[in-house]
Amino acid sequence: MDNFRYIKPSTVDEAISSKREYGKKANFLLGGTDLFIAMDKGVITPEVVIDLKGIKTLKYLEEKDGAIFIGAAVTWTELIESEIIKKMVPALWEAADLVASVGVRNTATLVGNLCNAVPSLESGAPLYVRDAVVFLEGKDGKREVSVKDFFTGVKRTVLKDDELMTGLKIPVVKEFGEVYIKMGRYEGEDLAQAGVSVFVDKNNNYKISLSAVAVTPVRATKAEDFLKGKKLTDELAAEAAELALEAIAPISDIRSSKEYRIHMCRIMVKRGLIASVSRMETGVPALSTRLI
Amino acid sequence: MKENLKVVGHDAVRLDIVEKVLGAAEYTDDIAFGPNLLHMAILGSPYAHAEILSIDTSEAKKLPGVKAVITGEDYPEKFGLYLKDKSIFPVDRVRQVGEQVAGVVATSYEIARNATKLIKVEYKELPVILDPYDSIAEGAILIHPDLGNYVIEPWLEAQPGTNIGHLRRIRKGDIDKGFAEAETIVEGEYHIPHVAHTCIETHISVSKFSLDGRLTMWNSTQSPHTQRNIMAVALGMNHKDVRVIAPPIGGGFGGKAGISMEVMAAAGAKSCPGHPVKLRWTREEEFYNSSQRTGLRNKVKIGFKKNGKIIAFKHEMFWDVGASAEYGSNVVNATGFSATGPYYIPNVYIDSKACYTNNPTCSAYRGFGYSEFSFGIESTMDKAAKIMGIDAVELRRINAIKEGEGVAYDVPMNPNGLIECIDKVAEEIGWGIEEKSDDPNKIIAKGFASVWKAPAMPANESSSAFIKFSEDGSINVMVSGMELGQGLLTVMGKIAAEVLGLTLDKVRVELPDTDRNPYEWQTVASHVTWSCGNAVKRAAIDAKDKILDTVQRAHFIDKSQLYLEDNGVKCTTQDSFYIPFSDFVITGIQTEHNTWVGGPILGSGMFMPEYTNAMVDPKTGLGGHPMVHYTVGAGAVKVEIDKETGRMKVLKMAEAFDLGKAINPDLSKDQINGGFVQGLGTAMWEQCIFDEKGKMLNDGFTDYKIPTIVDVPRDMNPILVEVPQPDGPYGARGHSEHTMIPVMPAIANAVANGLSVRIVDVPVTAEKIAMRMNDPKYKEEM
Amino acid sequence: MNHILKFNLNGEAVEVAVKSNEKLLDVLRDKLGAVSAKFGCGVAECGACTVLIDDLSVRSCITFAVEVEGKSVVTLEGLQADGPTKIQKAFIKHNAFQCGFCAPGFIMSATELISKNPSPNEEEMRHALAGNLCRCTGYQNIVDAMNEVAEDNKGGVK
Repeated sequence: MDNFRYIKPSTVDEAISSKREYGKKANFLLGGTDLFIAMDKGVITPEVVIDLKGIKTLKYLEEKDGAIFIGAAVTWTELIESEIIKKMVPALWEAADLVASVGVRNTATLVGNLCNAVPSLESGAPLYVRDAVVFLEGKDGKREVSVKDFFTGVKRTVLKDDELMTGLKIPVVKEFGEVYIKMGRYEGEDLAQAGVSVFVDKNNNYKISLSAVAVTPVRATKAEDFLKGKKLTDELAAEAAELALEAIAPISDIRSSKEYRIHMCRIMVKRGLIASVSRMETGVPALSTRLI
Repeated sequence: MKENLKVVGHDAVRLDIVEKVLGAAEYTDDIAFGPNLLHMAILGSPYAHAEILSIDTSEAKKLPGVKAVITGEDYPEKFGLYLKDKSIFPVDRVRQVGEQVAGVVATSYEIARNATKLIKVEYKELPVILDPYDSIAEGAILIHPDLGNYVIEPWLEAQPGTNIGHLRRIRKGDIDKGFAEAETIVEGEYHIPHVAHTCIETHISVSKFSLDGRLTMWNSTQSPHTQRNIMAVALGMNHKDVRVIAPPIGGGFGGKAGISMEVMAAAGAKSCPGHPVKLRWTREEEFYNSSQRTGLRNKVKIGFKKNGKIIAFKHEMFWDVGASAEYGSNVVNATGFSATGPYYIPNVYIDSKACYTNNPTCSAYRGFGYSEFSFGIESTMDKAAKIMGIDAVELRRINAIKEGEGVAYDVPMNPNGLIECIDKVAEEIGWGIEEKSDDPNKIIAKGFASVWKAPAMPANESSSAFIKFSEDGSINVMVSGMELGQGLLTVMGKIAAEVLGLTLDKVRVELPDTDRNPYEWQTVASHVTWSCGNAVKRAAIDAKDKILDTVQRAHFIDKSQLYLEDNGVKCTTQDSFYIPFSDFVITGIQTEHNTWVGGPILGSGMFMPEYTNAMVDPKTGLGGHPMVHYTVGAGAVKVEIDKETGRMKVLKMAEAFDLGKAINPDLSKDQINGGFVQGLGTAMWEQCIFDEKGKMLNDGFTDYKIPTIVDVPRDMNPILVEVPQPDGPYGARGHSEHTMIPVMPAIANAVANGLSVRIVDVPVTAEKIAMRMNDPKYKEEM
Repeated sequence: MNHILKFNLNGEAVEVAVKSNEKLLDVLRDKLGAVSAKFGCGVAECGACTVLIDDLSVRSCITFAVEVEGKSVVTLEGLQADGPTKIQKAFIKHNAFQCGFCAPGFIMSATELISKNPSPNEEEMRHALAGNLCRCTGYQNIVDAMNEVAEDNKGGVK
């Protein structure tokens, strides 16, 4: 890759003003596990790289005011090692543990995953079912965007040229069950060919999200509405899974055919529903149990 | 008579483990070559098949830091191991995507890579052939129109005017009569795609033409002497002026056999004399421009008598050898002789064809074609077992070839423990015992395969060894057999130690350097334990004779009463007699007259089989003795399959191989574990995927999935069987490639046994299982 | 852009001139002589380049050298300053590697695992090592060696 100017600001304001100065010629760097490879392959050729790891205010992970707050610099490993995440956002915890490998999780960030915005991103479905909100900050100040409104297409988001994502918040919920299921070609490291997250609370509100099977993650609202208020049975789970397929538009590629993705999503939603309810009621299956 | 062996046959810590665990092993890219090291980058063709109309390197040459830009104009020579159809840089046309069109040598890799982007090449695209059936179809474009003019080995049968680089035929007995007498006939058609070796260390060569014209190469290679030979001939140099050094290598698996990208580094070095020039493949280049495993489309037809005995066997193999058959021709040859599997069959018809395509060149890959063809044979055997109502394992027993029975080309089979392998694997896997999964969504099934392989070598392959003692009684064993990780250093060290009565801490075995280590054909074919082992044993016996001579002359004790043990010389008729080697192996023994008897002890040994003959009748394959011996074995898997998702987990494996004598039992079992897992990759996940223009779409680990530590069975059962090989050192024969061979068919057979779905195209992915499970087209009755 | 990079390598302060676009793996290997970390794929998919940065395992092939300014980097060469570690001794005892090319990466990953979790169960251990690819061994001896280390560490690291 070509040489570039490397800047390491100490505050968010400095980062934003550097980005304003260089515009599209600059990229932000956190873990770098996506950026580096794109630069090495020549897919992007920034003249300036702004390393955000010097900004201490971006490293936070805490529960307060009824939400869990996660700063941009928090790595997947830090999420996995957090009791708050494991207990309060277990689907995100499960997703974190399935990202790439330890050596990547140690530096890659949840926020970086969101900003890279590939359809198969692990963070998408778990954050969608929890109605997470992301914090963006730019020259015009700060704004909050629902994660469901953040993605606009493949690798496209609402981030403006001068903005960065400083963190996100996830509302705390009590008495619920949730799960994240990732379809890979095997149990070793793989990009998701389909991802499913299911959430249920004690009032039988269901949330179902699927990723890697449309240009952005999606919520299966028809299926959610169908189930709302009902106590789950195997038959209802199967019917809901069928309805969930209406929310997706998978493609065929070298990883998987469209038909198999649909086949698997049907199974993953059904098993995800059953597992979420079971977790809420009995605590099993344990986290990271392979459901497919 | 049973030998009382001290080190052979016992487990040991391998000789090279400490250097590898401490990070002291210096692989080629780790060596410091100094400040005048230059770097090379290659411009590859974007087209799978095209004429080269012009190459303009003028802009590239101007880039600061660029020392040389070379093309086929500078190096038009053709080369190849068995068939010289490969170019250092092609002049007339490219035949695969990524084929090297030009090379740049520069002061940094970055500059070299940037310079390649400035080279302008004009191509005229030609029709692309990506399947062997298309290669042999009427009117197909000839990928090598000059095939008739290529230099080829005399035992090859190229078919000029076609895309067939070699044809091996077997016609034994009367096939039509055989099928007429058969009471059950079963057929199948199968497809094996290309797969890649994926050594964790990519190919690398550092080549240097010294100012006085010597070529030295540091190559990650399995074949230093063969590389020296090819380079000397291709460049018109004396062999003594070409030196190939083989530092530790990060995996071979056949991918670093013969020669491939190293010729480019040598050409780059020739253009920049006085500088070492490094060419290191990126992972992408490793996938598409080193070599791959041959693809195969094959048709198997087997005729059985009522008692299950095979009476007739027809096998048509259409090998996709890719853009060059320089090595793949031997895969086609070897399999042509052996593609019956380990069974006695009186009437055999085999056609094995090397079909040129515009896929990446295929060369040696662990198993050398046997994994590919065994898939079809063992799948068909299982199908037949079900049709005939005979147990699948019993069917193998009924047909297992015995010592003395004629193989496909009518040479008697060597001593072998095939029945013992079959029995032990069946027992270990619990064959015949049905098991149920705890999970109502899942079923448990088992699959079996029995296999064999012979080394595929020229009739005159050979090994040689030197042993030299040092003052302290320790030895350096000099061989050009290469440590690939398979344990060669330890095997050779133990053989020398056993003969010479040394403890293993007194033994070093040196990696190849063609200046210093004597000749070895190549480290391939699972033959070096046998061939190089014999050479080392002879060298050790030679050294032993000289030691005993010296002591006899100095002490007047007849050599027949002397023996070697505990790093010294002892006497059967005198318990207290002991002379440590360190007393005399350099200096000799001082006599009572103050004269000295003896001198530095050296041993030399050589082995070449003198009964092999590759010049068979081309029409029938008979009349020769092309293979030295077969190693037999069997393998089985126990799998758990989710009936909804098709996802399969291998819970347990058992594999048994008859390696004659396990010089290192533990390391031999490690070869079974490692080979099983490599086989598992090809059985369940691995394939090279190309688009319709021949470009590889998965040239990286992102989409070429090899097994990780979480994907392998938790219950691995490697079993060693020992029926001695009469001409092997301590009875040993090789088995390291073989351990991959049963896996593809065992997996497909397990799936058929569990779900009645017959998958004839590997890899057997979860998607294929799920989507075909209920498709009548793939149904196989229980 | 050019930098004078200052960091701690294997217990020693080092200073080296680097450009922004230079990879940590290349700087370690080609400028600082720490060749144990290997080039296997260049895109963090094989683990052969693994080093420890401030005690965390990191893929040096996708790390810019400048990112380690002020940090402590440990490679296999530095791991054994006081002799082979318990993990290394177990790997030797069990003949854990064949060609050995993946060994440094595995040892760094295993070292991080044991420092965080001295006595992992087998599935935890496999999960932690799933990012290190080996083509030779089938992983069995690596697992056996690590199981022995985990067993030995029960009741505290000795």
